[in-house]
Amino acid sequence: MKRVDVAIVGGGLVGCATAWRLSTAGASVELIEAADINAGASGQNAGSLHFQIERRFLENGDALAEQASSIVALSRIAVEDWRGLETALNADLHVSMAGGLMVAETADHVALLERKATREQREGLKVRTIDGDAARAIAPYLSASVLAANHSADEGHADPRTVTPALAAAARAAGATIRTHSAVHAIGRRAGGGFTIAGNGFSLHADQVLIAAGAWTAALCTLANLHMPLYPVALLMNATERTAPMVPHLVQHVGRRLSLKQTHAGNLLIGGGWPSRLAQLPGGGFDLSRRATMIPDSLSGNLRAAIDVVPAISRLNLIRSWTGVTAISADQLPIVGQVPRMPGLWIAAGGSAFTLGPTFARLVASAMAGGPSEALDIVSPARFEHLNGFMG
Amino acid sequence: MADILDVAIVGGGPAGQAAALHLAGRGLDIAVIDEQPRPGGQILRQPPASFTVPGWLAGRGYARLKHQLARFEALDDIRWLGGCSVLDLAPTMDGLSLLAATPGGISRIRARHVLVATGCQDLAVPLPGWTLPGVMSAGGIQAFVKSQRFIPGERILLAGTHPLQLIVAEQVVRAGGEVAAILFAQPRAGMIATAMRHPLIALRRAPDLAAAASAMATLRRAGVPVRFGAPLHAISGMDRVTGAVTGMGEIACDTVGLCYGFVPQSALPRMAGARMHKAGPAGGWACAHDHWLRSSVVGLSVAGEALGVAGAAAAAAGGAIAGIGIARDLGLFAPEQAERMARPHRHAFDTHRAFAAMLDSIADPTGHLPRPDAETLLCRCEDVSFETICGAIEQGGSANAIKLATRCGMGACQGRNCEPALLRLLGDVGRGDDPGFTARFPARPVAIGDLAESG
Ligand SMILES: Cc1cc2nc3c(=O)[nH]c(=O)nc-3n(C[C@H](O)[C@H](O)[C@H](O)COP(=O)(O)OP(=O)(O)OC[C@H]3O[C@@H](n4cnc5c(N)ncnc54)[C@H](O)[C@@H]3O)c2cc1C
Ligand SMILES: Cc1cc2nc3c(=O)[nH]c(=O)nc-3n(C[C@H](O)[C@H](O)[C@H](O)COP(=O)(O)OP(=O)(O)OC[C@H]3O[C@@H](n4cnc5c(N)ncnc54)[C@H](O)[C@@H]3O)c2cc1C
Repeated sequence: MKRVDVAIVGGGLVGCATAWRLSTAGASVELIEAADINAGASGQNAGSLHFQIERRFLENGDALAEQASSIVALSRIAVEDWRGLETALNADLHVSMAGGLMVAETADHVALLERKATREQREGLKVRTIDGDAARAIAPYLSASVLAANHSADEGHADPRTVTPALAAAARAAGATIRTHSAVHAIGRRAGGGFTIAGNGFSLHADQVLIAAGAWTAALCTLANLHMPLYPVALLMNATERTAPMVPHLVQHVGRRLSLKQTHAGNLLIGGGWPSRLAQLPGGGFDLSRRATMIPDSLSGNLRAAIDVVPAISRLNLIRSWTGVTAISADQLPIVGQVPRMPGLWIAAGGSAFTLGPTFARLVASAMAGGPSEALDIVSPARFEHLNGFMG
Repeated sequence: MADILDVAIVGGGPAGQAAALHLAGRGLDIAVIDEQPRPGGQILRQPPASFTVPGWLAGRGYARLKHQLARFEALDDIRWLGGCSVLDLAPTMDGLSLLAATPGGISRIRARHVLVATGCQDLAVPLPGWTLPGVMSAGGIQAFVKSQRFIPGERILLAGTHPLQLIVAEQVVRAGGEVAAILFAQPRAGMIATAMRHPLIALRRAPDLAAAASAMATLRRAGVPVRFGAPLHAISGMDRVTGAVTGMGEIACDTVGLCYGFVPQSALPRMAGARMHKAGPAGGWACAHDHWLRSSVVGLSVAGEALGVAGAAAAAAGGAIAGIGIARDLGLFAPEQAERMARPHRHAFDTHRAFAAMLDSIADPTGHLPRPDAETLLCRCEDVSFETICGAIEQGGSANAIKLATRCGMGACQGRNCEPALLRLLGDVGRGDDPGFTARFPARPVAIGDLAESG
């Protein structure tokens, strides 16, 4: 039977980036993807490179916001990873880091911005709070309703269509085997160490396994008889027709769900975490094999938020809306690292892993090879060990 | 409008009208929605009410359809929602929900039953030069002639495989236009042989054949060459069409009408999640249905060309069956009564569909489509070339993966134009079972400002 150092389950950004890092470092790697490379969240997302603390961490009270601010340490590393990625891959990923603005429209939102900036500064992230006029001086397209903004000079966006395929190509070039249209159906522990990974028509031995299967990660963990508190969520995205350059920044909102940017092709992408409806299984449970459906109020709410912040959007045509499915963990932070009770089994899923994925990949690859892993401590699956007391 | 309609019919062509005629007068809340301001559909595309066209569609073949249209327009208990584009169709707990762009803004329409009768569109055929101004679909030329009596060119070349181009050419000539030539890519002998294999079907539809024969005669009198085994290779011109490179040499013209067949308008049933299957040889998707033309989605029926392209008479017969079926499901007819009422329409439906199948094989563009060259755009919304797409196909992905990698199908037309060409290319490399693009909202581009107010 074929034997590899590492088997990776999932051909999204996280799996492909880890395959690239590992094989570049000399490991033998096989990546197994159920569909096509980039078919999951990595190819459906908004492409925001957001390093400021996300609104979703701020809306559930100060205690959670405080806990979540620890993610800033990883965001700071991610800034550097993204700055080097195009050069490292020798590929055009349409990375643009022209800065990002998180805006506020009410006094309450302004207070939220200020508290957020204090946390970020404490963690060493370069963010400043500016008033509405200063924001409009940087971004004249912003509406008069914007009272203040946090500005991060590093934020921006990249092209989800090209990033993951470029990572997969680089992994292949470095010697990784990439198997598509092959779902993993079994993950077994071998006596004496290592794992057997199998699916339709293939099986292999691997010393270590990384499950990087996005929204499917919890289901794959069940194959190893483990609980992993990751839940699928379906989000809405919208694209306008192409238009002349008007929004060079990443624009987000601290009090409303909104993310907005203009792609290199000229379309404005409008998202921000508005829910869609996951397909259901007849007996209960979610069916991730079927497309999630749009919720009408999400559509109008998302577009209204966009127009309120950037009024010129009102006259543009919407040409496409889509739903994408990603994973959120029980405490909203990503789950990345080795499962303590199952040495050799690694997880990397959850969170905003377009922004943070290249960083997770680099850190996991290095930790798998025995390198330091302290940077991952805050996101380690160890924090959920109590759920697996009767598992494994 | 009622909070929830009993029936919403999308499309006011022959199929939608026939269904409405069977549902009207029974106390139901019914709306017929069409993006055209006036009913008629493709075949009876009506000139705007404000301007009359002398002898509008005087031909014999249209008499029945015009009669049906007049009866439809006389109905007084059906709401006609003209100028309204349906953007979305989704199942709900108690029926279906539609989102429509109306002249007064976006409006949500809920209905217990929906009939999709949205017709078909011309197959888009990418070939070198096809994006030059002056290249149109034959149907597009016909639409100009029919609704405005406007001839969109001084010297029109028609090329393709579908006999409809004879009718279009005749209409152009009768309206006083000049047709440079009509080119059928397939040899005449093959067409005749196909027809001869189905003599009974051909006989039953003698009027249609007579229409084609009379069109041929008109064209001959006007001195218009009709050529068979004469493929179109490329369209030439700098900033607009000046000629075409064909199997008969270079032909000078300022307009080219392409006529290789039709594909169903399938966006709405696909968005609703209905089971689809491959439509005729020209490509596209047709909605799977039972014998009341109900789709796999509860409450959603489909009639007309959206079921698979079969012509106006089949569309009208199917519309009648679907209308009776909906009335039956609403409890207005007992099952046996519905069956009795549907019988003559089923007979007509089957006959016309058999003819359509024969026409499909006569007009089959497989093997006769022009070849794009490396720079030919397959997706003209997003400027994606044939070469780029071939490169992506070699990577081995599905149509969705190729869309993601190349932007092919990501533009304003939602892939309506490029999907058949892409699926054909996948078929050529043994991947003909690809399920195609995932259907996405909205079915037509719509202003964000309007949508934002819809919630
Ligand atoms: C609409 C939307 C917008 C988003 N916007 C942003 C953003 O702006 N910025 C940001 O940072 N993040 C964003 N995210 C989150 C981000 O997209 C994800 O965190 C990231 O792409 C996850 O990458 P991944 O590789 O972990 O998972 P995925 O890309 O989902 O990949 C997982 C892969 O595993 C495969 N798989 C599943 N089961 C099996 C099996 N049994 N065997 C083999 N393979 C299997 C799947 O087919 C899939 O390809 C967004 C997400 C969505 C849905
Ligand atoms: C350009 C063209 C020319 C044709 N010419 C002929 C001909 O000369 N002879 C012939 O036998 N057949 C012709 N056909 C075939 C013809 O379509 C059918 O014979 C017949 O019209 C089909 O009837 P139907 O009711 O299925 O659809 P149609 O008559 O096409 O009616 C469908 C209606 O639905 C509406 N619609 C579609 N999508 C939406 C939406 N999302 N929202 C709101 N409204 C919508 C359209 O505006 C249209 O009025 C032609 C087809 C095309 C495309």
